[in-house]
Amino acid sequence: MWLELLRNMISKRQAIKFPKSIQTSPDGIIEIFSPAKKMNRIFGKSLRIRQVDAGSCNACEWECTALTNPIYDIQRFGIDFVASPRHADLLLVTGPVSRQMELALKKTYLAMPEPKLVIACGDCANDGGIFKGSYAVKNGVSNAIPVDYYISGCPPTPAIITRELLKLMRNI
Amino acid sequence: MPENEKYIEVGWNEFANYCDSLCKKRNVILRLMFATDERAIDNWFKVYAVFSEQGKDIFHIPFFKLRGANLKYKSITGCIPAAHWYEREIRDMFGLIPEGHPDPRRLVFHDSFPADSHPLRKDWKISENDLKEWGEGVVKKVPYDFMKVEGEGVYEIPVGPVHAGIIEPGHFRFSAVGETIYYLESRLFYTHKGIEKHFESMSFFDGIKLAERVSGTSTFSHSVAYCMAVERMAGINITEKVKAIRTLLLELERIYNHIGDIGNICAGTGLTVGNTMGAVIKERLMQLNERLTGSRYLRGVNMIGGVTKDIFLQADDISTTIDAVAKEYKKFMKLLLGTVSHVERLEDTGKLSKEVAILLGVTGITARASGINDDIRRAHPHLIYNNVFEFVHYTRQEGDAFARMMARAEEAKCSMVMIKAIIEGRYTGDLHVEAKEIPPYSHALGYTETPRGSVFYWVKSDRDGKPLRVKLRSPSYCNWPSVPFAVHGNIVPDFPLCNKSFNLSYSGCDM
Repeated sequence: MWLELLRNMISKRQAIKFPKSIQTSPDGIIEIFSPAKKMNRIFGKSLRIRQVDAGSCNACEWECTALTNPIYDIQRFGIDFVASPRHADLLLVTGPVSRQMELALKKTYLAMPEPKLVIACGDCANDGGIFKGSYAVKNGVSNAIPVDYYISGCPPTPAIITRELLKLMRNI
Repeated sequence: MPENEKYIEVGWNEFANYCDSLCKKRNVILRLMFATDERAIDNWFKVYAVFSEQGKDIFHIPFFKLRGANLKYKSITGCIPAAHWYEREIRDMFGLIPEGHPDPRRLVFHDSFPADSHPLRKDWKISENDLKEWGEGVVKKVPYDFMKVEGEGVYEIPVGPVHAGIIEPGHFRFSAVGETIYYLESRLFYTHKGIEKHFESMSFFDGIKLAERVSGTSTFSHSVAYCMAVERMAGINITEKVKAIRTLLLELERIYNHIGDIGNICAGTGLTVGNTMGAVIKERLMQLNERLTGSRYLRGVNMIGGVTKDIFLQADDISTTIDAVAKEYKKFMKLLLGTVSHVERLEDTGKLSKEVAILLGVTGITARASGINDDIRRAHPHLIYNNVFEFVHYTRQEGDAFARMMARAEEAKCSMVMIKAIIEGRYTGDLHVEAKEIPPYSHALGYTETPRGSVFYWVKSDRDGKPLRVKLRSPSYCNWPSVPFAVHGNIVPDFPLCNKSFNLSYSGCDM
């Protein structure tokens, strides 16, 4: 190591910085791009979503499922739901983040490749909603992992989710 | 106090014998069991068990009192296996110990929740640090031992809590031999949100918003059961019109759930066209819900003492939509029953025998598909279920996934007929009865049939008419313990199919 450092000093070569995004603690994650730039530069017109239920009542999940039915057909916009966080660009979290789910949510977040976006979907994901103040919830996704975008509604209808996702994609 | 609830106090050491003899003498089903912390009133913990007698509209509710340092009682799980989760839950939430319970592990709380901490006690406190550690899940304070299956060729497959699809979280551990599931252990309660405790922090009138958000797809049933409990407690008599509107919306909720569930079963068997058709019909009904009430999940309709919207004004819309749905639904079922690969995959998959179903006290579709003739709408008539229709009752004896699909199909058809009949009836009365003050120290049960099975609420008010205890029991809570029995002997790839045929709510179970 010392030899390498010495060699670098002599040749005045600059060491390549360790990318900040590879930091492993979700609390210490530093934004490298703003959400809009992330969308523009990296994802283009395609978005792969991983949905995680962090203690929601299941209404938001059904609305997300409805997005893929022939009536809303969200795939036509280049958006789709994937089975693994490793394949995902965007983490869509529903529910107020129950404490028993917190670890699993953080692990899912960490399993996603950078760059990544997080959407808190639904009123209880935004700030705990009706469950705010209960001993077993974290009062919103932003208390567990960094959030880029919020969708409100209890539950947000498929039309609202589509509109918001498209807004996010068009805000390039 | 409502007439059909019969409370009997028994000694703490005689409780198990009393329940046992009640089961032997009369044909009763354990509906729910819960504890209350009434130390502020008379310095006692109380444990209630609610049994309903078959063929009669009567609830037998024996209860006993406990206090002092020795918070132990004789477990009733030995004679009534259906009580096993309730007793574990009471131990977690109140610290009352059932002696002789076969399972000493915690039910609700996971490893990193502090030991000897019981949230539903009135004097319960938890430090910030404990809460933080609970969330982080690193420090294992009370380790949970999964059951181990030993032997040659047995291996474990852990799945979850985050699954591949857009579904709720739960952890499953299969012990498999080759492809066959030998044993399944489910670890639930990931979505535990402390709802029962949270109820105590709001008034009875605000509580309805929380009741609506216990389980998303049973929103309306939960709110009806909650309103019913509070109305019975306060002695509010709702009008015929309100009853009719509630019945109508309950049935609308049932149809969209059943058709959606049948569509999802198709996803399990790989019949994409069926899945899509089910989703389209469901969407049509959801949009009807939105036009009627402004909410796709029928939220914000119920209130204590009435409803907020007169659905009968849009009777034409309802009947045209239901007609269209009935037509599509007929085509849909014809397609499903004509597809051999679909039917064959369902038959003999996930068999739940009648004996096990009775012992575990399962409810709803699961019970009716296993040959138990149990429907709260008939057993304890409420709203306008008793005087308007003779609704046809469906039970099937097979207990497999196909039986559960067919039970749903028949019920959905029956609900459509009921909705048409309600629309044609003339119901008069106000939309809302002035809600009185909640009387102090009173209590009552509320119940109804959700698409999944029976839901129960038991409420008790304190001195100021605020909630002292709100106990809720969703149908999924009864049915989850039966899933491991149904999947035993099936192959691992069939587990999603079994699970979908039960279609249980995690959120409703975890509370």
